[in-house]
Parts: sequence; C-alpha cells; structure tokens
Amino acid sequence: MAVDRHHWFVRLTHWVNAIALVIMIGSGLQIFNAYPMFARRGEAFCCYPFAGHSIPHWATFGGWLAGARNWHFAMMWLFLLNGVAYTIFIYLHGEWRDLVPRRGDIRDSREMIKFYLFLRKRHPHQGKHNALQKGTYFALPILAALAVITGLAVWKPVSLAPLTNLMGGYVYARYWHFLVMLALVVLSVVHIFMVFAVDPYSIRSIVTGKYNPERAPELRDGRPFYHLFRRARSDADAEA
Amino acid sequence: MQRRDFLTASGGITTAWLLAACGSRGPKGAEKLLKYAMRKNEVLERGLFRHTSMDSPSSRWRNAGIALPKYYISDTVPVWDVAARGTWTLEISGLVKNPLTLTMDMLQKLPRITQRVNHFCVEGWTAVETWTGCRVSDLARAAGASPDAHYVDFQSFDNDYHESWDIESAMHPQTLICYGLDGKMLEAGHGAPARLFSPVKLGYKNTKYLTKIVFMPSRNGGYWSDQGYEWYGGT
Repeated sequence: MAVDRHHWFVRLTHWVNAIALVIMIGSGLQIFNAYPMFARRGEAFCCYPFAGHSIPHWATFGGWLAGARNWHFAMMWLFLLNGVAYTIFIYLHGEWRDLVPRRGDIRDSREMIKFYLFLRKRHPHQGKHNALQKGTYFALPILAALAVITGLAVWKPVSLAPLTNLMGGYVYARYWHFLVMLALVVLSVVHIFMVFAVDPYSIRSIVTGKYNPERAPELRDGRPFYHLFRRARSDADAEA
Repeated sequence: MQRRDFLTASGGITTAWLLAACGSRGPKGAEKLLKYAMRKNEVLERGLFRHTSMDSPSSRWRNAGIALPKYYISDTVPVWDVAARGTWTLEISGLVKNPLTLTMDMLQKLPRITQRVNHFCVEGWTAVETWTGCRVSDLARAAGASPDAHYVDFQSFDNDYHESWDIESAMHPQTLICYGLDGKMLEAGHGAPARLFSPVKLGYKNTKYLTKIVFMPSRNGGYWSDQGYEWYGGT
C-alpha cells in the first residue's frame, strides 16, 4: 500500500546536502576556534556571550585551521551546486507547491502547536507536510542561501567590499554567517528529532522514496513519542 | 539483498559516516581534491581581483593601537643587529633592469603614503591600523621590473620567513612597504625596520622584518603556504 513520496532527485540532493552541511558546519566551527569571538582588535562586541570559549572538539572537522579552511572552501561548491540543483528541480518538477507559504499557514501552524501542546485533541488536517514542516522546509533553502552570501562577504571582504559593507563590515558579516549557521543547526536538529519522535516511517521515504500513508501522523494523531505504533484511526473514530 | 534493504542500508551508512565525521580531520584521500579546489578557487579569486577594489574601514571603527598582536616565528622578537650585520638595507632584485639596495633614508624619500586600512588575519580577527610607507608598485617602477615578473617574493630576517605573491596583488595601490604605524616608526614587534602590508592579502602573506624583494617568473611558496594554508590568501 506504499505510495511514492520523494523523487529520487530530491532524495539524492537531501543526502548530499546532509553530508555537505555537516562538513561545512564542522569545518566552520574549527575555523571559528582560531578566534572564538567577534570583536575587532581594540574594540568590544555587543552580542556574543560566549567570547573566548572554544567549540568542543567533537563538533569540529578538519583537524586544524588550514585543514578546516581547505575543507570549507572545497565543500562550499558541493553545498552551493547541490542546493541550486535542488531548487531548480523542485521548481521545474512542481514540488515547490508543497513548500511555498499560503494564506492560512499561520493559522495552521498555530493549530499544530496547540495540538503538540495537548491543547487540541485531533491532528489538524494537512497535505504532504504539516504547516510547521512546510515553514521549516521553506526556510531552510533561504537560510542556506544566506549562509552562502554572508560567507562570500567573509571570504572576500576587499574584492566584494560593497557586499561586506552592506552587512556592516567584516565583523558583522562574520557574525551573521555564524547566526545563519546556528539557525540551520537548530532547524536541522528539530527536523531530525521530529522524524524519530513523530514520524519514523518517513525515514523510508527519504531513502527508498516509498511511504505508507496509513502510518501518517495525521491518521495516528502522532505527537512526539505519542501514538508511534498506533494503527490509523478508523472512519468511525474520526466521526466520533 | 533487495533494493529496498540496500537503500535503507546505504541511508544507515551515510548517517553512521556523518556521526564518525565528528572531530575528524577527514579522509586522507580527499587531500588531492582539496588541493584541486584550492587551485580553482585561486583562479576565481584572481578573476575577481581589481586594483580599483579598495579597503576602507568605517571611521566609526577604532584603531587597534596596542591591541594589535605582535607576531614572529623566531623565539624572541627579531631585531636587526647593526653590529653583526651592518646597516639594514632593502634589496630589490630578480627580474629587474636596475637592482636596488635601499637604505631607510632612501626608502623614506620615495612617495610616502599613509593609509588607514583593515588587517584581515587568517584566524578570523581584524584590526584597523594606520600605516605609512611607499607603494610596492613605485619600487617596481624604480627598479624597472620586467613584464616577465609574474610573481614577487618578500623575504625577511625572521628565521627565513618569506611569502611569494602574484604580481597583480603586489602592484595594488594599497600594497605598501611600511616603516610607520599610527604616526610612529614601526616597532620591533610589528616588523621593524620595514614590513610589507596590504589589506588585499591575509596577515600571513604580509612579510615582516623585510630584507629582500625578488621579482620572479614563477612562484616559490612561502612559510605558511608550504604548510597547507592557501598560497593566494587574498581578501
């Protein structure tokens, strides 16, 4: 009864992105550790409470500053080209329709939050993704694009001086680059948590492409760790 | 093995690999690929490079002053020992019509530039400083550098520290041989008697404790570039 859910191109770009993103973040944090703060020499910086604290070794990649830079400046091409290929594909193939925000998404997101907080009994009706997922999957490519643009401003602050100045100079370009990374990490962590806690059946769909719609969280009234193994509620239940 | 099992397994392997990547240096076999990417990036960076792209820090930013780190590779601050080595001079040689040996007096008689620019360190910090010196392009003209000189090596008396540059970056109007910092003569900790400084390159490309400028047909690496840092190191 399984149906096709994700096109092979979407699955491929998803996993290539996962690898590229992990290496970009790990090597970026290793680079950051060479100067784990933002202040210009002789100045203070307003908005980073952890100045001087290194990122733990397990979260880094590349071993040392030069190694991490070499990985960062090589993997950025995979990250960029893969992201561009994905965006072009979902535009031409139509998947963008499941992701772009529409009127009512804010209301639907509110209802999803209410449902997760047990303030609402039944799972709101949804299409391919629920409203919170839609928002996340729409935001991720935008954040990725911002990561690339702020990264360019840090990489070439003289050749691309107008871009770097637009961001408030090198110090702030580096800060925005860091914050965009943080947003990507938060959304990715929530995404992975929700996959395992709400819809582990969707792992199959991002690997083989197949999905069993009877296992959909909407039919199970699935909240994190709730109703993970429940069968789809019957129509009689639904009426009740 | 069924196709589905295989695909599930490969998903699992990818995830395991992602976890194993933590804290790692990455696979050794990737080094060739990283070198390849570095060379291609250099082509792009040199394509983006313009003599009209200038660095100009905002007037709201403070000069680093004493907060500018002192850096050298010798165990102690390198100081030119006049008793042992005689008067300090700057030698300009290689692919030039008239090799020059400049004393500090001669250097200071060349057209003098004072510029307030950013220092971009490879580590990720920046510092604003006001430098005084003469343009490398003026020195190249004075020495009659050949059109075959595509690279320039900047050598020092700090344990043979040197870094070679592409000629375009060396001829940038903000690339100076500096003998003054913040209105004073350069201190030993910052590269006295004279050092190379340009905002168009990362800090490690800007040789301190300068002794020789050699115009060359090909590049010859550098202290940090030979250890894995980008040879181009451009901003």
